[in-house]
Amino acid sequence: MRFEPVALAVVALAPSAAFAVDYLGAEQAAKLLFPDAERFDAREITLDAAQMKQLADAGMRPRSARWQLLLAWRGSQPLGVVVSDAVLGKFELIDYAAGIGNDGALRGVEVLSYRESHGHEIRLPAWRRQFVGKTAASPIKVGDDIANISGATLSCTHVTDGVRRIVAVVELLRRSGALS
Amino acid sequence: MTHRSSTRAASLAPLAFALAVLLPDAQAQSATEADLARRLDQLAAELAAVKAQLAELQKQKSAAAAAAPAPMATAPAPAVAAAPPAASEPATVITSYGEINYNRPQHQSQDTQIDMRRFVLGYQHRFDDRTKVVTELEVEHAVSSADDPGEVEVEQAYVERQLNPTVALRAGLFLMPMGLLNENHEPTAFFGVERNFVETAIIPSTWREGGVQFVGNLDNGLTVQGGLSTGFDINKWDATSEEGRESPLGSIHQELALAKGKDHALFGAVNWRGVPGLLLGGGLFSGKASQGQATASSRVTLWDLHARWTPGAWDLSAVYARGTISNTATLNAPLVGSATLIPSSFDGGYLQAGYKLWSHDDLGLLPFVRWERYNTARSYADLGAGLTPDPTAAERVWTAGANFQFGNGLVFKADYQKFKRDRDSDRFDLGLGWSF
Repeated sequence: MRFEPVALAVVALAPSAAFAVDYLGAEQAAKLLFPDAERFDAREITLDAAQMKQLADAGMRPRSARWQLLLAWRGSQPLGVVVSDAVLGKFELIDYAAGIGNDGALRGVEVLSYRESHGHEIRLPAWRRQFVGKTAASPIKVGDDIANISGATLSCTHVTDGVRRIVAVVELLRRSGALS
Repeated sequence: MTHRSSTRAASLAPLAFALAVLLPDAQAQSATEADLARRLDQLAAELAAVKAQLAELQKQKSAAAAAAPAPMATAPAPAVAAAPPAASEPATVITSYGEINYNRPQHQSQDTQIDMRRFVLGYQHRFDDRTKVVTELEVEHAVSSADDPGEVEVEQAYVERQLNPTVALRAGLFLMPMGLLNENHEPTAFFGVERNFVETAIIPSTWREGGVQFVGNLDNGLTVQGGLSTGFDINKWDATSEEGRESPLGSIHQELALAKGKDHALFGAVNWRGVPGLLLGGGLFSGKASQGQATASSRVTLWDLHARWTPGAWDLSAVYARGTISNTATLNAPLVGSATLIPSSFDGGYLQAGYKLWSHDDLGLLPFVRWERYNTARSYADLGAGLTPDPTAAERVWTAGANFQFGNGLVFKADYQKFKRDRDSDRFDLGLGWSF
């Protein structure tokens, strides 16, 4: 989608600065998604070939086998997991985080930063609330169970697709016992 | 590309090193068969190890270089804040959209046309974390020269600076916030092969002005825009041409091409998206258009109300726009007898319903129907009996068809348009569009 040589040249040269507007840090987002958590443990998990195939068969295109998660704990009780991600809006990246409870249901989605000229409304609680309670069995699709924002179709679609991918990966990990 | 090549070269280095070390060694010895077999086994093992290393390296590189990189999260320590991998975000992004349209009039097939309607290249470049420039350069009708019908236009060229998380300031040549289509005019963003008549004849899309504007994105779902800009030039009105009847404002817009700047305009727009799937909004533009050169001072005012609701697979929208030009009696007096006098008001509205009938992966079929009513000369100022032109009757158009999405940013369209008054315009349209 982007002009690759420019993109790659810029990747090579640019400092790793995040562009405005940054609304939240991932740590803040994790606390918002799991306010009852007492601590968060970072865990890196690598999907095996069979799991990657399972995702591909489900219509997901996992971008990486390696996933870094934050596990939310209250004492010895696991509450769920937080995954931060970045997807392309129309021109620029949108940083967001999804929290998924131990029951596999989405606790919520937080937008960490948004840089496009249009479509800031995906930050609004009313739009993000649509994700709450969705599971791997839900469509999690714009125009299906997630309503679009007029003028921000690409941002909505890409964040929604990203959340669906995260839910699918976490469900795989949950079932394999990797999160316990 | 250079970066990618060097990445691959770096990834292959261990393999090359292993071969360089092992191969001469193997060749140097006059080994027995068993020796050779052992060495082959050793090589195979080394190769497997190098392959694994290479695969891991490539995995890391591809994860780092992907435009939208892998999800990351780390410990809840301060490092977490850096989790989103912004490092791969480019400062310059090239964009483009285009549409190729086929129009076949039902009753006059000799007028059938195929046209590279628009070909647009643009870029967005970030100077820093708060400031960017956005541009679009458009070629209409494929070839632009003294003997060809095409035009080359700068459609947008503005600098935007984010003042705080809520407010951004824009300056330059920008699209006016009016209606549903003007700011979102890519072929993938609207139903039908051609842009709707209300948002071409009444709101002169793609309508842009030069000036300054603020954009406020409030936490309650309101987007508020407002500013000061160039306006129209009533001196451009050509009473001998039909252009003013096709689009009154389209015939007197300035597009920042040596635009007369004595008069300026104020504009504002409010859009509310507080409920998912719902957009309610309106815009207002008003500015003098005589530019100190016309016989009488004249003001152009245009306003609109619009709504869009996308519950589930439905996409429902409505727009109403109305424009007025003041003091037209004085301006028209010397033009009496000409083909096209300046109307004092013009308006139009449409209702549209689209539905996602079928989708699979990145394919989608979205039939739609649209009803429009528009009048480019709803009223004329009184010039006296026998001199005042009769207002034109409103045109009503039904458009029915479908958008077929085949991939992210690609659309094939087909529709049929039925005109209530000008039946010769009834036509069948096909279109190919893209946007990225």
